Amino acid sequence: MNAYINAYASQSCAGNTDTLMDAIYKQRSAITIDSTYIKDTPVGLGKMNNGDFFTILKDVVAQVLETSNLSNFHDTLLIVGSSVGGMAESERHFFQDKNYKNINPKKHIISVIEDTLVEHFSFLSARSISTACTSSANALLLAKRLIKVGAYANILVVGADELCSTTVCGFHALGVLSSKPCSPFDEARDGMNVAEAVAALLIQNRPTKDAVELAGVGASSDAYHMTNPDPTASGAFSAMKNALEDAAVASEKVDYINAHGTGTVANDQVEALGVEKLFDDVYISSTKAITGHTLGAAGALEAVVVCEVIKKGQIPPQTSLKKAENKNIHLATRVYKREIKYALSNSFAFGGNNTSILFGAVQ
Amino acid sequence: MKVTLKILKAEKIYAPVQIDELDEKRIVPNMMLRRRLTRNAKIMLYLADKCSYNNNKVVYGSAYGELQASTSITEAILREEQISPTLFQNSVYNTAPSYFSLLHSDRDEIITVSSGKNTSYEALRTAALQALISQEPVLCVVTECINIQRIEEVNTCSSYLEAGAAVVIDVIEEDSTKISELKESDNKKIMESLKHIWWIAENKNGEKFSIEL
Repeated sequence: MNAYINAYASQSCAGNTDTLMDAIYKQRSAITIDSTYIKDTPVGLGKMNNGDFFTILKDVVAQVLETSNLSNFHDTLLIVGSSVGGMAESERHFFQDKNYKNINPKKHIISVIEDTLVEHFSFLSARSISTACTSSANALLLAKRLIKVGAYANILVVGADELCSTTVCGFHALGVLSSKPCSPFDEARDGMNVAEAVAALLIQNRPTKDAVELAGVGASSDAYHMTNPDPTASGAFSAMKNALEDAAVASEKVDYINAHGTGTVANDQVEALGVEKLFDDVYISSTKAITGHTLGAAGALEAVVVCEVIKKGQIPPQTSLKKAENKNIHLATRVYKREIKYALSNSFAFGGNNTSILFGAVQ
Repeated sequence: MKVTLKILKAEKIYAPVQIDELDEKRIVPNMMLRRRLTRNAKIMLYLADKCSYNNNKVVYGSAYGELQASTSITEAILREEQISPTLFQNSVYNTAPSYFSLLHSDRDEIITVSSGKNTSYEALRTAALQALISQEPVLCVVTECINIQRIEEVNTCSSYLEAGAAVVIDVIEEDSTKISELKESDNKKIMESLKHIWWIAENKNGEKFSIEL
């Protein structure tokens, strides 16, 4: 059984899916410079600034339902991918009260997102995946496999992560935050932008109008280091290769790669090497230059971007690129209009957790 | 859709406050790596070792994840202190299975499930899918470590503040309708997030169960 993405919606620092794509094609970064999270240190962050996170979460999922062929989610499996869950809410209580008394443990943990959506929409069943920055990419991986074996006809994948002090200060402690909008794959890049987003995709066993196929999934572990990627790129290479093999698609058939491309020195160097090893000539760009790194939501948000790229037939340019570090990969320097049959999206995470998703145009 | 699982190995461990003997020096001979392990990681590595599992796919589950690391980070932020990079890298929910991958050079897929009180049930369903897809045995481990000093909201909510269970499962071709369904343990002292895997770990080695994917 094949898996099709039939409806989706998103909200990020660049707004909804329409405004996000507009920003991507016009190379207009939505990153803002913030000095409130880290004392005396300005950092570039991707903030949504348009209301309560859990209200946005429910709105995005409601938009998917509205544009789908379903009248409710009663026969739909929900798979959530998140790396922080309700941590931001816990932090607000803790920093105000300076104790844990008003923190509800059930609203702190990852499953608060799943619980909120189940309570509001009522799903057939639900589960949450938390593998740091590959969380929602792995949710997509499981969804594809569950559809393939015929276990479900409808699966809603939601990627959701809210900005919080723990992640901003944590990445600062690792020395990987940029004080300006990030510049993935650029020789002079100096780090990433932590960001927040909600993205939801309805995956079904039959295509509807304007569907995109969830064609192949692949994953691997680096088994190298908790935060640094394997410099030989073997983990990234394996994940991408596994996704192509799952779809039985040759590497030369891929028209575009939406890179993990965080803008950190280590990630971009290794990812570029992995792409160089596996592909001869494919356009690549990282849309994190527009959205920042939305952590556990990134896989789902970038899946929405790739669906739009395939439907529009327009390869996004690499924003903020002045001089590419790796000259052997084909970074898109402008918008290229062409038929896009297959596009790959990469997500890599702490613990050397790698996931690649291959999307295909429906003929 | 139901599949039939055969339980190839099953182990469990628990303690009211802290599990004393996790055989860390033998299991993790590298001192630098051993010193970085979280409690969840130590328990997970112990259970995987007891199951003689050191390669292939892993599904790990935890409702509370690395609560000690994340609370230490927020406390450091409140005190305006520097955060330890190790503490931050150890705060993600997939910390424990990532150490497993590092220790055993396991380059296969790792999935971490965190579904509140249903965590072990959803982890087992995910492991069943992974076993079905790969046609290979899969290790499923669920651990909880909520012995967090100063947070009485969690460190008094269970009789066993540290507990974990592991099973190695294989999907077999046998009519799932003729096989008994997975149940949850009636052990009231165990956290709800562990109850399904606990039921298997209660001496169910070699038995078969059906589970909905």
